[in-house]
Amino acid sequence: MRKQGRRRRITNAAMSAAAFACVIIALVPLASILYSAAVEGGKAIGPAFFTQNEPPPCSPTLQANCPTGGIANALQGTLILVGIATLIALPLGILTGIYLSEYGRLSRFGAGVRFVTDVMTGIPSIVVGIVIFAIFLLVAQAGWIPLRYVTSATSGIVALTVIMTPIVARTVEEALRLVPTTIREAALALGIPRWRAILRIVLSTGKAGVVTGALLAVARASGETAPLIVTAGGSFFGFAGFDQSIAAMPLLIYVNGLSGVPNYVTLAWGTALVLILIMLGISLAARLALHRVLKGAGAAR
Amino acid sequence: MTTKLSVEHLSAFYGPKRALDDVSLEFNDREVTAIIGPSGCGKSTLIRCLNRIHETQPGARAEGRVLLDGADIYEQDAVEVRRRIGMVFQKPNPFPTLSVYDNVAAGLRLNGVRDRNAIHVKVVESLRKAALWDEVKDGLMAPGVRLSGGQQQRLCIARALAVDPEILLMDEPASALDPIATAKIEDLVFDLKRTYPVIIVTHNMQQAARVAERTAFMYLGKLIEVGVTRELFERPKEKLTEGYITGRFG
Amino acid sequence: MTGVERKALTESLDQLNENMATLAELAKVAIRKAVESLEEGGKAEADAVFTLDQEIFALKQEITRRCVDLIALHAPVARDLRTITASLEMTTDLDRIGRYSRDIAEIAREIAPSASREVRRMDKLAKMGELTVRMIDLALDAFRHRDAEPVKNMIAEDDAVDDLHDDLFRELVARMADRSLSPHIGAQLILINRYFERLADHAVNIGDHVAYMVTGQRLTRVKRPKTGLPLGPQY
Repeated sequence: MRKQGRRRRITNAAMSAAAFACVIIALVPLASILYSAAVEGGKAIGPAFFTQNEPPPCSPTLQANCPTGGIANALQGTLILVGIATLIALPLGILTGIYLSEYGRLSRFGAGVRFVTDVMTGIPSIVVGIVIFAIFLLVAQAGWIPLRYVTSATSGIVALTVIMTPIVARTVEEALRLVPTTIREAALALGIPRWRAILRIVLSTGKAGVVTGALLAVARASGETAPLIVTAGGSFFGFAGFDQSIAAMPLLIYVNGLSGVPNYVTLAWGTALVLILIMLGISLAARLALHRVLKGAGAAR
Repeated sequence: MTTKLSVEHLSAFYGPKRALDDVSLEFNDREVTAIIGPSGCGKSTLIRCLNRIHETQPGARAEGRVLLDGADIYEQDAVEVRRRIGMVFQKPNPFPTLSVYDNVAAGLRLNGVRDRNAIHVKVVESLRKAALWDEVKDGLMAPGVRLSGGQQQRLCIARALAVDPEILLMDEPASALDPIATAKIEDLVFDLKRTYPVIIVTHNMQQAARVAERTAFMYLGKLIEVGVTRELFERPKEKLTEGYITGRFG
Repeated sequence: MTGVERKALTESLDQLNENMATLAELAKVAIRKAVESLEEGGKAEADAVFTLDQEIFALKQEITRRCVDLIALHAPVARDLRTITASLEMTTDLDRIGRYSRDIAEIAREIAPSASREVRRMDKLAKMGELTVRMIDLALDAFRHRDAEPVKNMIAEDDAVDDLHDDLFRELVARMADRSLSPHIGAQLILINRYFERLADHAVNIGDHVAYMVTGQRLTRVKRPKTGLPLGPQY
């Protein structure tokens, strides 16, 4: 008996150690990314970083006099692209999520919408970008819009919206499904029309999930590079109109990071660091919001 | 004894499955009617048809007539019917994101009432009627879900009363509560019946015997027997009724 | 129907029914022996009745206790409830039957054997005894068989017994007045006449409880007012 006990204890300890080791191994790449970004990106951060636009390329021979520049235009570009896309995707996604959860649970149409939404969350973002590009091109070739719209802030916003909406829709649907039916029935039993019950009670009860969904979608959109390559296009300048190309942070990282030009590379690292910090911030905000809502409502006995 | 609610040949379905089979029954004003029966007999389905909550479940439908003051509720606006017929559910379900005060006010606010004074008066009145006022008056802004089970259920009763229903439906209101909380709910029903007709579904026969003037016994979707509670419990007419209430089956 | 048995309740109810059956038997035997002791004048019979009365009393106590327990613990309804309530009420009547039987036996022991010849000659008294025993038998058999049919006419039968009681009373008074019956014996016989009449009433009570237990309805009673003792034309 005692031998069995000891063997069990050894096995326990061995498994715990193995699991712990796996965690360490999994964390190594993450740690190295954070470290590199912090070290390299830290070099670039300074007041100019946030206020100046992307500098023109600088030849290596003139390195000493290269203007460092900043990411002001890229920051502005990302804000505009993601901001406006959010303004469109959020209501669209929430309404779709509401439909899927409240009206379309059993209907064939609902099942269809759900399927399409699921598929769309999985489409590689480059594909989305190419398709939007192609559509805009076709429409421009047909003469309905000027050609310059094909790579512009507008097409960039459209691409991001297409990426974000399914995410919001699915997350909202899941969040609303978690609201117990009895809450819905209690609201209906008070003699309220269904749509009002959904908006005021169900949505409010599931708002933790809705907020999480929104933040997730925003985080995803902020980091998307591929679709923006073929739609927004990138630029050295600030916002010049919805029919013009526009800069964006991920684009900056992609183009500058691979350019080999030292000041560009530094700029790219700085942008990467800023993006990581933004992502961290959004994750934290989502977690905090969830925690606060759960603390208030979930502490029921 | 005026008839407040009259059920005529009501059948109800969940998809293809028939849950209520040609039920006809009357409910009187200012009286408590209990509906008893074993699990699956259709008593919850019946009561959910009375305020048209049954049909909100996907795939569910009902046939027949339910007359409130002589008018068929199935030919009226469902939302209006539900405002006139209030319901309290088996598991207390206060709105989780709202405070005690806001829970009670919810029905009023969501029906468009804006006058803050009128709302306040109604909230206090409803909490008093539900015998909850003394326990919550110093914590009206606390989240509704922080109350104990019994208090939450009384909160739900206050919420239902705030919209001035004409009838109160209660679906096993005390089954999730401990004996003391149950007794408080029963006392509450005793007071409420002075103003509202109350229809209460219960699986606890002694509870039906304690609170109801009339009792109806259902089995497998059919109404087996209905009568004055004292009569039903002392000399039931149907063998099935006798078997159930003496505890020989069910 | 699923076989839920409520074993505790069923066992207790079975015990109650058994006890009630025993009590009924004891009462039947008691009244029979009481009448015998009156007509045969046997001291042995009289003593037997005293013992029976004590047993009846003790069993009644136990049955009452059991009924209270059943009500407190099991919240009985419908037939169970009626059985228990009827049993509770019947124990009173059966106890009274035992008591009156004892009273009759006491008198029998005192006036027998000298008066037993006299007693045997009194047709009406014999008839009273016979009717009483028959009514008690009827009610207790109906109880044992849980059948309310036989007791439906008990009220009418009781009216007949009441009438016979009045007749016998008048006769006894008349015979004491014209000295064909000693007052000492006559007074005792008047008591016995009364006891028989009361016993018949208790038999009707039992019939009433049986009807309630089985059907839920009691016998319809229209009680004729007792207009006081019928004194007869001599007074």
